[in-house]
Formats: sequence, structure tokens, C-alpha cells
Amino acid sequence: MGRLVRHRGGLVKYLFLLAVAFVGLLPYYWMLSCSLKTNDNMFLVPLQWIPNPVNWNAYGDAWRTQDFTRYFLNSGGIAVAITAGNLLLASLAGYSLCKFRYFGRGALFLMILSTMMLPLEVTMVPLFLIVKTLDWPNTYEGLIVPFLVDGFGVFLMRQYLKSIPNELIEAARIDGASELRIFFQIVMPLCKPALAALGVFTFREAWDMYIWPLIIVTKDSLRTLPLGISLFMSSFGTAWDQLMAVATIGTLPMILLFFFLQRSFIQGIAISGLKE
Amino acid sequence: MGATATAAPRAPRRLLRLNLAAKHALFGYAILLPTVAILVVFRFLPMLQAFWISLHEYDLIRPARFVGLENFIDLLWDPLFLNSARVSVAYVVFSCVPVWVLSLALAVLFNREIRARNLLRSAAFMPVVMPMVVNALVWTFMYHQDGVVNTILGWFGIDPVPWLRSSTWALWAVIIIGIWRATPYYMVIFLAGLQAIPNEYYEAAKIDGASAWTEFRHITLPLLKPTTLLVMVMSVIVAMKVFAVPLIMTGGGPADSTRVLPLFIYQTAFEFFKMGRAAAMSVFLFAAVMVFTLFQIRLFSRGED
Repeated sequence: MGRLVRHRGGLVKYLFLLAVAFVGLLPYYWMLSCSLKTNDNMFLVPLQWIPNPVNWNAYGDAWRTQDFTRYFLNSGGIAVAITAGNLLLASLAGYSLCKFRYFGRGALFLMILSTMMLPLEVTMVPLFLIVKTLDWPNTYEGLIVPFLVDGFGVFLMRQYLKSIPNELIEAARIDGASELRIFFQIVMPLCKPALAALGVFTFREAWDMYIWPLIIVTKDSLRTLPLGISLFMSSFGTAWDQLMAVATIGTLPMILLFFFLQRSFIQGIAISGLKE
Repeated sequence: MGATATAAPRAPRRLLRLNLAAKHALFGYAILLPTVAILVVFRFLPMLQAFWISLHEYDLIRPARFVGLENFIDLLWDPLFLNSARVSVAYVVFSCVPVWVLSLALAVLFNREIRARNLLRSAAFMPVVMPMVVNALVWTFMYHQDGVVNTILGWFGIDPVPWLRSSTWALWAVIIIGIWRATPYYMVIFLAGLQAIPNEYYEAAKIDGASAWTEFRHITLPLLKPTTLLVMVMSVIVAMKVFAVPLIMTGGGPADSTRVLPLFIYQTAFEFFKMGRAAAMSVFLFAAVMVFTLFQIRLFSRGED
């Protein structure tokens, strides 16, 4: 231990960090190991830490009970659509608010910012009524369109665009490039880090979305993965192994996203707390 | 723009410029339009409508009936509403304060050079990665009487706790999940804040022979103040909105002990179909969220332009 840390205070700190890492990983380990246990061994006293015997059936069984492939694809499709919408609309709006001068710009920006105080938890009742008026319950439109853009994304893109010099845009104009071309071929590529961060952030939130689908979806073919999981939980509450198998599969995309885009994943969160 | 046009006659040049400016403004409006349209229809309109519905009795089937402020007055005397407001406040206070302390402590520790830092930091970050519903499901499992949480408590000689089945413990169970999930999130924000502190301050302190605690107290903490304020406000807002986890794990029970305000709004609206009632509660929640968000926006825009 002497090589790890220099003195006793350091050792205590290191043990603390090890404990935190353990607590951070425990639910993942528990989920995985329980998905591989037999139902009889689930709540043995003393607890079984390593599945024995290993039960590989839970994944297949769960998949046969409900159409999880469908739920998975629904969640993925909706998350991709919402992410694409946010990237495009937020960067367009941020570009407009940052690089163009027009009447009411400040007020419009404030208005967009202030939507951050209108979370779904506050507006769910009337939002449901509006979506109902549009005849959108049980449709993909109803699941996607209300979330195609939000105040945070616009704010983020506007902040980032400030760092892009106006001269660059002016030069392109003098060269005769059209405004849209300037946006797509010059501005967007320069925004890659911000777009990556916003993209991962938005995808994570969309993949996580639970309350809204719960409110407007009743048709099985439109269920998202979180809905499928919670339904499975209430109707097959004793098929523990299958529950954990479904949970593991539902977590997998987020884990992959984290491992392959770790920098953007963390950047998106870091930016959500910074003013510059 | 047009710096070489000195020889050109004045009037046409001004006209051209005006034209260009108008064209730019038009383009600016055009690319902002989709965002404004979506936000107006799906954020502002609902908010206005919330006020309107809150003055009515409406069950989605019969036509809405105007009742004035009755919903609001009823709420003030409704023990269930008062209970749920109390549960929400308890949730916010008891989940946020530990999150502030823990996330700051972790950020400070991870900001140093230590063995296997990246690995440990990734492990500590993992709670953020887990989807909310999975989170609720796995923890329900872990809180089982013979589950892993009680087993670990047993190592320290603590008797099994009837987590989700007891009205004393259920809220704590939900709070622990909230802390577990939120801590690494704010740790990342604190880390970003710490990295913005110039190293020279610490070097100067080292020369003066300052202890680690003095460094923290007199350099880190003051320079981190804007980040700390922001984390405090953000975490309170997030905690006020929590309800997927209690909805899935306990449905608000046992004995209403985990029925936080957003959950109560959801159930009033979509299980009991009292839209007016629910909207009136939303107005209360809105007021609370607004106070903190205005504060957040002020923090955000400080030092801008």
C-alpha cells in the first residue's frame, strides 16, 4: 500500500474513492449477476454473489414474453429523431441569436431561455390536452415533436458560436456563398465539439424518457423500452431473472455510448453547469 | 464590409447596405422560427393553459366547468396535498445537501494525481449512465429484505431495514437513489470548475507552506463559488421534479410517504382525471421551479457581453 499513497490521510482518501467506485458499480454488477441466476437462488441467505449455476435462459425467455425488439427500436428511433432535431434546430437558433442583428433578438433569446422553467413535470396536464387536440396520442409525432428543441440546447449553441470569428462568416459572404451554405459548410463543422456534447446529452435524456410516453402511449406497438420494462415489472413481478435481463439490455446502449463517446458524454454534463 | 467603396456615391451604397441588413435579419428570423414555434406551442401555450384549466373542473369527458379559485382554496386544506408538499421538501433537502458535499469532495479528490484515477473516476461516474427506469428496477431488487443493501449493512452489524415496505424508510430509500444518481453528475460540473482555477494560486500557497485544508478553505472554495451556487440551484430544481423513481418503486406509498408533488400531480391528472386540481398543483410547482430557475438564469448570464 505504501507505493499507492504517501501517507495515512492519503490512504483514507483512497479507500473512500474505492468505496465510491464500488457503490457506483454495484447496481450494474447486481443487475448482470441476477440476470444469470436461477429464480430459486435470487434471494438466498446468505446472498449468492456469483451466479451458480449460471442460467442463460432469462434473456431469451423475456424476449419471447413481450415484443422487446419493437420497444427497443421505438426507443432508438425516437431518441435519434429527437437528437437530430435538437442538433439542427438548436444550432440554427443559436446561430441566428449569435451572429445576426434584428429587432427583438434579446427578447426572443430571453423567451427561449425562460422555457427552462417550464419542465414537463409542470406542464404535463395541458401539454397532454394540446397533444390530444392535435390527435397525437399514440403516434410517433406526439412522442417526438414536442421535444425537438429546448432552451438549454439553444443556449449552449449560442454560447459556443460566440467563439467563432465573424470575419470567417464575412469572408465566406464576400466569396459569394449563400447563407445556408455558410451555415452547413463552415459554421456547423466548427461546432463539432459542442454538437457532440449536446447530441450525447440529448440522446441520453431521450432514451431515458418515461413520463411522457407513459401519458400518451396506450398502444403496445408504440411502447418505448422504459415503458416495456416498467410494464414487465408490474405484470411479471416474479420472473426476477427475466426482469434483470431486460434491464441489462436496456442499459447496454447507454454503456456503449459512454465508452465510445466518453469525452462528449462528460463534456455535455460539464457544459450544462458552466456559463461559458 | 465595403471598405474599398470610398469612391462610390453615398446614397446607393447606403441603400445596398440597408438591403443587406434586411436580408440578414430576415434570414435570422427564418432560422429561428422553427425553434420559437415549437417552444410557443409546446411550452408557453401549455403554461398559459395550465392557469386556465386550474380555474376549472375538468375530467376529460364532461365539458369543463368554471369554478374560479376553488381548486386552489381546496388544495390549501387538502391533507394529501400538504403531505405531498412536505414530502417534496424533505426529498429536496435531504437529497441535495449530501449531494453538494459528496460531489465537491469527489471532485477535489479526483482533481489530484492518484493511482488509477481514470478508472476510479469512470466507476464513480457510472450511476449517471444507468437509465432511470432500470435504476428504479434494480434498486427495488437491491432493497429487498434479503437483498444486497441489507446484506452489506449486515457486514457492519446493522439489522435488516424494511426499506420499501415501511413508511419510515421508503422515502430514505428513494433519497439514497437520488444521491447515488446525482452525485457524479455534479462531480463532473465541479471538476470542470476546479480545472478553471489557475495552478499558480496553489503553487503560491505551497511556497507559503499552507496545509491542504487551508488551500481548500482559502483558494478552492472562494474561487469555486460561482460553480457551487450553480450546482446548488440546479440540483434543487432537478430534485423538485423527481418522480419516475417513486412512481415505479412505490407508487407514492406506503401510506403516502413517498408521494412527491410531481407524482401527486401525475396521479391526480391521469389516474383520478381531476385535470383542474392537477393544474392548480402545477401552478404551485411552477412557482417553486421559477424562483430557482430565475436565480439560475441570473447566474448563467452574469459576466456576459
